Amino acid sequence: MTGETMALVGLGSGVMLLLAVVGGAVLGWADRRFFVPVDPRVERINRALPGANCGNCGFVGCGEYAEAVAAGGTALTLCAPGGPAVVGALAAIMGVEAEQTWPYRVIVHCTATTGMRLRRHPYQGEPTCTAANLVTDVQGCIYGCLGLGDCERACTYDAIHVVDGVAVVDYTKCTGCGDCVDACPRGIISRVPFKTDRILAVGCANQDFGNDVKAVCTIGCIGCKACAKLAPSLVMKGNLPVIDYDKYEPGFDFLPAIDKCPAESLVWVGTPSPKDLEALADVEMPVRAEATFDTTVDQTEWRG
Amino acid sequence: MELFANLLLIAVGAALINNFVLSYFVGICPFLGVSRKLDTALGMGLAVTFVITVAGFLSWTLTEFVLRPGAPLANAVWHAVGGPGDADLSVLAYIAYIFVIAASVQFVEMYVKKFFPPLYKSFGVFLPLITTNCAILFACLLIMKEVVGGNWGLAESLTLPIFGGLGFTLAIVLMAGIRVELDLADVPRPLRGAPIALLTAGILALAFLGFTGMGANLKQALTPAAADAPAAVASVEVDR
Repeated sequence: MTGETMALVGLGSGVMLLLAVVGGAVLGWADRRFFVPVDPRVERINRALPGANCGNCGFVGCGEYAEAVAAGGTALTLCAPGGPAVVGALAAIMGVEAEQTWPYRVIVHCTATTGMRLRRHPYQGEPTCTAANLVTDVQGCIYGCLGLGDCERACTYDAIHVVDGVAVVDYTKCTGCGDCVDACPRGIISRVPFKTDRILAVGCANQDFGNDVKAVCTIGCIGCKACAKLAPSLVMKGNLPVIDYDKYEPGFDFLPAIDKCPAESLVWVGTPSPKDLEALADVEMPVRAEATFDTTVDQTEWRG
Repeated sequence: MELFANLLLIAVGAALINNFVLSYFVGICPFLGVSRKLDTALGMGLAVTFVITVAGFLSWTLTEFVLRPGAPLANAVWHAVGGPGDADLSVLAYIAYIFVIAASVQFVEMYVKKFFPPLYKSFGVFLPLITTNCAILFACLLIMKEVVGGNWGLAESLTLPIFGGLGFTLAIVLMAGIRVELDLADVPRPLRGAPIALLTAGILALAFLGFTGMGANLKQALTPAAADAPAAVASVEVDR
């Protein structure tokens, strides 16, 4: 390198250095001048959250949710991916008691398979429930599942399938997003808090009187009100018992009510309990892998 | 008068005839990214206008006094160390401009965060992304070219970024207005989302092609010498 080039390089470096010093000074001054005090809890909450920015909580991202939590008045339980661990962490940061929460899952309020439904007529229209629902006499029951799978197509998680003509939820996959609830033209899917993995549900949506129900379904609820007398969380709405899941007590003995039901309308849904699995121990079952959340994003440095 | 005419030409040229987005195709990222809602689009346009003006001013200062061949400050140091001829630091242009742009974006971000929190929120990630908005670097490089060529002073170098930024604002607000309406339209399924946005941008660019040639006519109208001897384009209009 000639001396001239060296001098030019030196001059250039000097100019850039000077620029850096001036720019740094200006920005440093601006940083103090325009300082916005931030609640220190926001940063801690942000770190406690999974950082997946999934938007399940209803906020734009984890950062906004963290700000809302720190500002107060926002439930600590909105982070679905984080689960109870995150709720506990947020409660510790905010200095409040963690509330008990339950995951939401969907329940299909119809359990009658094709053979159980009476007065069915051949339907050759567009094979969707929404279309079939416009036509009378596809089947006798005007409340029950049509079995054409609108919910199955709406499900992102492959968690609901039409089996023997009735929609059945796969609770190992269901996330409780509620897409099927919106997709069902008959509105027989509900989204409720699952206080236990296995939960009692009313497996019928027919609100007619007993004789009319019997004329269209072999297992439908006849509205005898027997179950409502034996379990306080079951309340009659017209001719149909409805479970009030806010009052639902997981430990309550529902057996008398279930035994009393002359139809087969009270059913257990959800994933089987360990006891049930034990009873089936001899039967070969696929191994269920439990998520440990070991490697979620919150343990990595990357913050998106 | 001549300066005024020149500035008007530069302004109209930067805003309409050679619109940064729709004619030079720079700054496409925010143009497509932040054009979903009218108010954020307007905010983005004004933020870019502000940053581009600050960066334009700084880059003129840098070019005039430090970077251009024979710039006074660089030359003073250069001759002090006994260098031959004039100092030419124009190789530093890109890195110096990017530095200036990044610093002014950082400054604007702090300012907006302090004084306009809702705007700060609605910008989200796009405010820091102004740093990599090529429209701004493009304006700086245009200014550098003209300043090195000895054509432009401070007035011209400020007019270009201000009106270029306003042209960017115009383009992004037009785009946002169209996209707001598009949300209600029944777009064919394969075209939904990005494809229809790109098609819309293309048609907008075609529409802006209509300004082509306006510069020459405007120049004729504004320059007394040219008005005495009407050019071919003008006579065609008279015949009609």
